[in-house]
Amino acid sequence: MSAQLTFRDVTLGYDRHPAVHHLSGEVAAGALVAVVGPNGAGKSTLFRGIVGILKPLAGVIGLGSLNPRDIAYLPQTADIDRSFPISVYDFVGAGLWRRKGIFGGLGKDEQHRIREALAAVGLSGFENRPIGTLSGGQMQRMLFARVLLQDARVIVLDEPFNAIDAKTSADLIALVQRWHTEKRTVLAALHDMELVRANFPETLLLARSPVAWGATPDVLTAENLLAARHMCEAFDDAAVPCAEHAPSQAA
Amino acid sequence: MLRFVSIFVVALVALVGPASANADAARLNIVATFSILGDFAKNVGGERVNVTTLVGPNSDTHVYTPTPSDAKKITDAKLVIVNGLGLEGWLPRLVKSSGSKAATVVATKGVATRKIEDGHSHDPSDADPHAWQSVVNAKTYVTNIRDALIAADPAGAEAYKANAASYLSKLDALDRDVREAVAKIPPERRSVISTHDAFGYFAAAYGIKFIAPQGVSTESEPSARDIAAIISQIKKQKIPAVFLENVSDPRLMRRIAAETGANIGGTLYSDSLTDEKGPAPTYIDMVRHNIKALTSALSS
Amino acid sequence: MIYDALIAPFIEFEFMRRALAGVIALSLGGAPIGVFLMLRRMSLVGDAMAHAILPGAAVGFLLSGLNLFAMTFGGLIAGFAVALLSGLVARSTELKEDASLAAFYLVSLALGVTIVSVKGTNIDLLHVLFGNILAMDDQTLLVIAFNATITLLVLAVIYRPLVIECVDPVFLRTVSRAGAPAHLAFLALVVINLVNGFHALGTLLAVGLMILPAGIARFWSRDITGMIAIAVASAALSGFAGLLVSFHTKVPSGPAIILVCAGLYVVSVLFGSVSGLVRQLFPGRHLEA
Repeated sequence: MSAQLTFRDVTLGYDRHPAVHHLSGEVAAGALVAVVGPNGAGKSTLFRGIVGILKPLAGVIGLGSLNPRDIAYLPQTADIDRSFPISVYDFVGAGLWRRKGIFGGLGKDEQHRIREALAAVGLSGFENRPIGTLSGGQMQRMLFARVLLQDARVIVLDEPFNAIDAKTSADLIALVQRWHTEKRTVLAALHDMELVRANFPETLLLARSPVAWGATPDVLTAENLLAARHMCEAFDDAAVPCAEHAPSQAA
Repeated sequence: MLRFVSIFVVALVALVGPASANADAARLNIVATFSILGDFAKNVGGERVNVTTLVGPNSDTHVYTPTPSDAKKITDAKLVIVNGLGLEGWLPRLVKSSGSKAATVVATKGVATRKIEDGHSHDPSDADPHAWQSVVNAKTYVTNIRDALIAADPAGAEAYKANAASYLSKLDALDRDVREAVAKIPPERRSVISTHDAFGYFAAAYGIKFIAPQGVSTESEPSARDIAAIISQIKKQKIPAVFLENVSDPRLMRRIAAETGANIGGTLYSDSLTDEKGPAPTYIDMVRHNIKALTSALSS
Repeated sequence: MIYDALIAPFIEFEFMRRALAGVIALSLGGAPIGVFLMLRRMSLVGDAMAHAILPGAAVGFLLSGLNLFAMTFGGLIAGFAVALLSGLVARSTELKEDASLAAFYLVSLALGVTIVSVKGTNIDLLHVLFGNILAMDDQTLLVIAFNATITLLVLAVIYRPLVIECVDPVFLRTVSRAGAPAHLAFLALVVINLVNGFHALGTLLAVGLMILPAGIARFWSRDITGMIAIAVASAALSGFAGLLVSFHTKVPSGPAIILVCAGLYVVSVLFGSVSGLVRQLFPGRHLEA
């Protein structure tokens, strides 16, 4: 299978401190990859780099012919203004942006698709609710519905199952499975190892530097996990410039 | 060499000094309370007097607060000219505190006074102090000042009489001109709206009615009711011109003019002269300016 | 009797009709902007902008004297500069919008004061710039009508990105480049509405009819389109009622309009259907599901 995403010695970080350090590898098209690691391992940072929000400090993230705007991204802490007076329907409808742009009207077809997406995540009947009245689990479902509507080839989910109940998790995981059968490329950052072992064939264990990357059973070994846990979480203020620096290129 | 020079300089100063002091001493020090009186005094006194004015041009005599240097001016003066009729409420205390031995002349002595018409009262006795607005009254001012100057400086009596006579004839001419100008205005157009309550004597002498605007005063923001009232008033009484410099927004003035067909008048000077560069640096200039503003607003 | 009190003043006096037209135009342009300002927590931008335009007006004054057109134009330029610069800085650095704007408007104000004192005059320039709703001449009416039209047109264009930008800016960044231009266009609209509003109607009305109606709308609608509609309606109603109050009493027109609007605001805070205080204290029986 061809590579959908390539990483060539990628370093991503903030203020010159690396949060992801020298990552190289490929994600095949249609892969279902879990990205795991302790807190501060750089998972969110990596996703921001993939989506184009963050420029690499070094190295290249290759997207092939894919436009970064056609990647569906579900961020970890949504900077969403929940007090904003918008309905679930309109919020989710924004998922059609790439197709409709600024002006495109939402015709019968689009309306049907929005309702379908809401039904797929179990939010039928919530169309007119203001987003501020949703619970955590309902918020997450709503965000999934928007991702559904984006109909993207590559989907990046940052800790999508944090703080939601088992039933919701199960429903949403079913959606992820569906995407996989539709041959979309999915990357998800996760903490729940059981979930990963049960559903994700491929795993990248990240502890700033990549610890292991490959088939899930091979990666999630006790010694790998131990090695990852020894990673230092904090940036070192007294650090010197890295010797293996290669010039950066934006994704 | 240096010593010679310094002695020479001292001698020079000694000669010149007293001479100039003499020249100064020859002039009579007079204090006038405000610019219009000062103008009269200069015209009557001529070269023989040194006139100091307390309230300068473009300033408001009604609310003036005197300073210590004013007290000094009064102490140094031989004659103080005041308007009277309650215009200078602050004066009596000033004279007393200066301990001056100067003579005082009330310029309005003998003038037929009017009562103040609207609520803007300057003093308890309710007389309108703006008597100078009628040129006929101004002549009385001038004769009072002339007589006071003669009393204070008998040696200059001839000069004072001559100066006064010439100025009085100028005032006569001015009075004639004003009456002629007013005569050219059709009788039904001889009324204006003005916030000035200072033109009572002018109105009585020359027949132009000064009507106070209902409502609009010096407050910065009039209400819709105020504007409506002025507009109704102008329409109803068919007043041809509006002189409302206190209404600060020129656009508002234009709106009122547009809706009533009235003309917007220029600025009228009533309580003080302007400085050298302004349109009314002397009394005669002031009256000519006012009548010109009035006639041009009312004739067209 | 009702006719005399409510309608007759407008029939009888042209300045009243013009004032009403002016206030309606202002509502159409300013109220929707105000709703977005409130939602983006930029409600104090109006007052900041009133000071920020000073150097522009000062330069206009230096070059052309007390020429209202030059000063307004200068004010517009200064306002744009401050709004755009602070918007750009907020988007590309850690600094948030409120601090960014505060920094720029203070710099602008200091510059303005310096320019004015170098010239050596102490005319209160800002006072000269600010107009009065009872003095609507043709030119001013045209300007604010034009304003309102441009505002509504541009808002229609940037509506979608602006809304998403407010709700979920990260999402917008990942799917579109429209976020930054939409935001800057919005800021430009704010400046235009404010500067022209100051010029035509004075600060109180221009800012007041932007912000208060937005506050009112908050209490009656949960949906942004509904909010905009209610904001425009309450602004226009306040204008109409305020003019009548000013007509029948001695209250100046600008304050009268704002006071009526404030009255509506108080009523909304107490009785509004969305989180009004009375509703919160007496919620009524809960529903079945």
